[in-house]
Order: sequence, then structure tokens, then C-alpha cells
Amino acid sequence: MIFSLVKRNVLLYFRDKISVFFSMLSVMIIIGLYVLFLGRMVESSGEVAGENARFLTDSWIMAGVIATATITTTLGGLGQMVDDLSRKINRDFETAPIERWKIVISYAISSVVIGVIMSIFTFILAEVYIIAYGGEFVGFGALLRVLGVVILSTVASSSFLFFFVSMIKTMNAYSTISTIVGTLIGFLMGIYVPVGALPNAIQSFIKVFPFSHSASLIRQIMINEVIDLEYLPREVSETLGIQFYFNDVVVSQLTSIMFLVGTALIFFGLSVIITTKRKREV
Amino acid sequence: MDKIIDVLNLHKSYGEVHAVKGIDFYVEKGKLFAFLGPNGAGKSTTINVICTLLSYSEGEVIVDGLKLGIDDALIRQRIGIVFQDSVLDNLLTIEENLRIRGSFYGLSPNELDTAIENALIVTDIKEIKNRRYGQLSGGQRRRVDIARALLHNPKILFLDEPTTGLDPQTRKSVWRMIENLYINHGVTVFLTTHYMEEAAKADYVVVIDNGEIVAKGTPIELKEKYSTDSLQIKPIDKKKVTQLLIDNKVAFTEISDLMIIPIDSTMDSIPLLKLLDQQISAFQVLNGTMDDAFIGITGKEMRE
Repeated sequence: MIFSLVKRNVLLYFRDKISVFFSMLSVMIIIGLYVLFLGRMVESSGEVAGENARFLTDSWIMAGVIATATITTTLGGLGQMVDDLSRKINRDFETAPIERWKIVISYAISSVVIGVIMSIFTFILAEVYIIAYGGEFVGFGALLRVLGVVILSTVASSSFLFFFVSMIKTMNAYSTISTIVGTLIGFLMGIYVPVGALPNAIQSFIKVFPFSHSASLIRQIMINEVIDLEYLPREVSETLGIQFYFNDVVVSQLTSIMFLVGTALIFFGLSVIITTKRKREV
Repeated sequence: MDKIIDVLNLHKSYGEVHAVKGIDFYVEKGKLFAFLGPNGAGKSTTINVICTLLSYSEGEVIVDGLKLGIDDALIRQRIGIVFQDSVLDNLLTIEENLRIRGSFYGLSPNELDTAIENALIVTDIKEIKNRRYGQLSGGQRRRVDIARALLHNPKILFLDEPTTGLDPQTRKSVWRMIENLYINHGVTVFLTTHYMEEAAKADYVVVIDNGEIVAKGTPIELKEKYSTDSLQIKPIDKKKVTQLLIDNKVAFTEISDLMIIPIDSTMDSIPLLKLLDQQISAFQVLNGTMDDAFIGITGKEMRE
């Protein structure tokens, strides 16, 4: 039952070309902006990476793009839940001998499946871009680690977003949320403006925002392929949001991972509470 | 007599609103049951309660020997519902839709294949099974909706206005399919409709208004009780005929240049025609219809 519901939701997402396009829109905008402002960024990283300046900047921006995809495409995948509710398709599920929790969990699982597929697709595009401009393909170990972070980040964002989306009843409200997320995400991930260039209050907020840790982890893995992280000056690392520091103590990869795991668990719990308490409506 | 649905003193309130105010009725097994009522009468609420979608405030409902509210999972296994608005996915093909929805009923892969095959044949949509639901015509969609509801061989099929919005020809062919279901396949059909000619074919009719049952019986009983036959005449000289009718204490109403005289039975028209001989240019004797009966019961037109 869960399997066929997940299959349904995933099929419906990929057959609706417009929803696929819109869930990738933020990613495309970021890449577009990057291409436009490329020259200046490469220049400024030249002093750190030397001849690898281009490879470094490309890896940095693409790491942010992949982290963004784990959120926006997962949100796109959750749209089916709102669509079913607003078109009252859920009545067909609720009058069948299938437990309610199975229906609900299948939306969450399908958003993870969609998010992972689309993020991997983004990762492939990113690598193609990096190689096309003289960079190198990530090593096998780094590839697996990126995939691991992508999956973790997608699960956490599915859990986090599910909590908010499950309170929505109309497609209008859902579109509004998608627009807000799509607009803010580039800033929260420290892509449009590097974290170090933002005011302190916002920097602190970004540091406790779970998904900027996805970006940070993917940056660490991908940039390590260009230049050994140990040789990266702290100032550069901190400014570009590659590593976060709390009172001069660097946030370890394990801490970032645990932070994402914690987010996934807490919001999963909250989502369970909210969906079981919601009254049945027709 | 075998009751497949038995509703006893059913109440349903939404906060302050008392939508269903203690109704009693039953549905006989293998019959075509019509549930009628104007919009907002409590019709949908009642169906949603029986279909396990809504909880109820008071009373008891037994569906195929199972108590509603306790054995809901088992009841769901035995009912099929065709909702008024479509609940299938536009972007999936007919077969994909049926396979996904069919997976809810715990059938083995082989059983599911057979179930899909049978449903496609009964509803006559096998040739188009690979087309996307969203690309189908209204009549074809209805057939798919019905196929979906039949997948698990339900004992009771709920049809909520199955022919609304279809053109007359499609409506007839969908209706023939529904008739085939309860005549040849022994499915009990619980129907709501806006078309009185469909209700007239039911074995039993219940009319609900303002949350209460206002009439029940076979279509013939309802017609006899709530509608009258009438004699329609076209007078040559309206004033003269009017006077003649008043003198003979015959009640009548006028509609443009026609005059309508209610009569108890069609035979009663003979003495009236004798009386009006030479005074009229045309006449017609009309039997009461379900439409008349419905208006007689609720004081409202069905189609708004």
C-alpha cells in the first residue's frame, strides 16, 4: 500500500513538468546569477587557490546549489499532499481499508525520493559544469560523502517542511510558501551574499538554521577536492560559509550531521502530533 | 427481506448546526435505492457518514451486519464509492489509476490483475486503458470512476449523482451500465441523483429535507401520494370556459393559453371533456411524474 502510494506521488510529480520546473527554479536562478557575476568572484578567490581559482569558486557555488536543491525539490514533492487535500482526493483513500498513517507517511517518503533524485540530478549537472570549466570530477570517496549528505539533508528537510505543509489546505497557500522558501533559501544558504558579508545577527541566525549546515558540509567535501581544507585560511572558510565557528571553536562535521539528524527527528515528532490531532474533515 | 444498510435514529451536528435530525431508513440487498433531497438537505452528510468519512453524533448504522464506527475497516472493504467530483489522477493512465487504488484492498498481484481486468470489461473501457484519465471525455471518466469503485467487488455501490454534467446520450449509456450492475451482478446500489427519471427506476426512494426524512416508498407509491394527474386543455374562448368551470366547481390553473385541471385519475377526464365539448381546440391527459412528486414533497425544484 505504502509502496504504491509512494509510486503514485513520484509518478505524478515527474509527469507534471511545470512542478518539476518550479521546484528547480531557485537552483536555476542561482546558477544564472553566478554566471552573470562570475568574474568578480573568481578574481577574489585567486589569491587563495592560485590557478585553481575557477575550480574553487565553481565547487563553492555548486555545493550551495546542491544543498538548495535538497530543500526546494523536496518541497515540490510535498505539493501532492496539498493538491490531494484541496481537490478532496483524500476521500478516496480515507474510504478505503488503509490506515491513515500509511497515507501520511507515503507523502513524506515520496518527497524524500523526489528530493534525492532531483538533488542527485543537480549534483550531476554541477559536476558537468565544473568539469566543463577545467575542474575535476570529485573522487569516489567524496562522491559517496556528498550523496550521504544529500540524503540526510533531504530527509531532514522533508521532515521540517512536512510540519508546515501539513497545516496548509489550499494550493494558493502552498504556492506562497514555495515562493518564500525559493526566495529566502539563497540568502539562508549564504549563496547570494557570502555569510561573512552579512550583519552579525543574521550570521548567527544562519549558523543555527539547520540547512546551512547541509551547505557547509557539501562545501567542505567538494572544496577539499580542490585544496586541502587545512590550508584554507580560517577567514576565507568562515566568510564563505565553508566552516562555521562558535566563539572561535570550529563546528565539526559530526556536529553538523547531528544537527541535521536532530532536526529530522524533532520535526518528525511534531508532524506526527499535528497530523494525528487534526480533525477529520470532508 | 434482507437489509444491507440499516440506519436508526441517525443524528449529525456540526457545532450548532443540526444537519441530520434523527433519520431512520434501510436499504434492501441487491436493490436500487434512491436517496433524494434538495441541496443542503443533509443528503451528502448522511452519505458521508455511511461511507465512513464522517463520524456521527447519535444513533446507529449497520452496514452488511457491521456496526459503523466500530468495524469501519471491514465496512470499507465492502463498499465502493463513486464521488460526485472525480478522485482519480489526471496525469496517470486508466490502468495506473486502477492499479494504485486497487492496491488498497490487500489483493495478491494475481487477484489485482483479475480485478482490474473485470472492472475494465464491466465498464467497457478496456480499449482505452492506456490513455491518461485527464484526456478522457466526461462519460469515459465516469466509467473509470465506476471501474475504480468496483475493483474490490463491493457489496454496496454508492453513486453520488453519477450522471450529473453528462450529455443526454452519455447519461443514458452510463445509466444502462449501472442498471446492468445491480440486475446482473447483484450489487446493491445506493444512488443520489438530480434526474427524476432515474429515481423513477429505483426499487425504493427516500426523500430527505432539512435533515429529516419527508417521504419514503416505491416510486409508484410516491407518485400516487404526492403527484396528481391532470387534464390540459386549450380553450377556444377562454372566458366562456372559465365561467363553465367555475359554475361546475372545477379547480384549475392557467399557464399561458392552456388551462390545467388536476384530476384523481385519468378516467376522471371523460366527464370533463364531455362538459367542455365544442369549447376546446386541444387536450392532453398527463400522468403525475416523479418530478411532480418531488416538488409536492419538498416544495422545491430538484434542479437549481
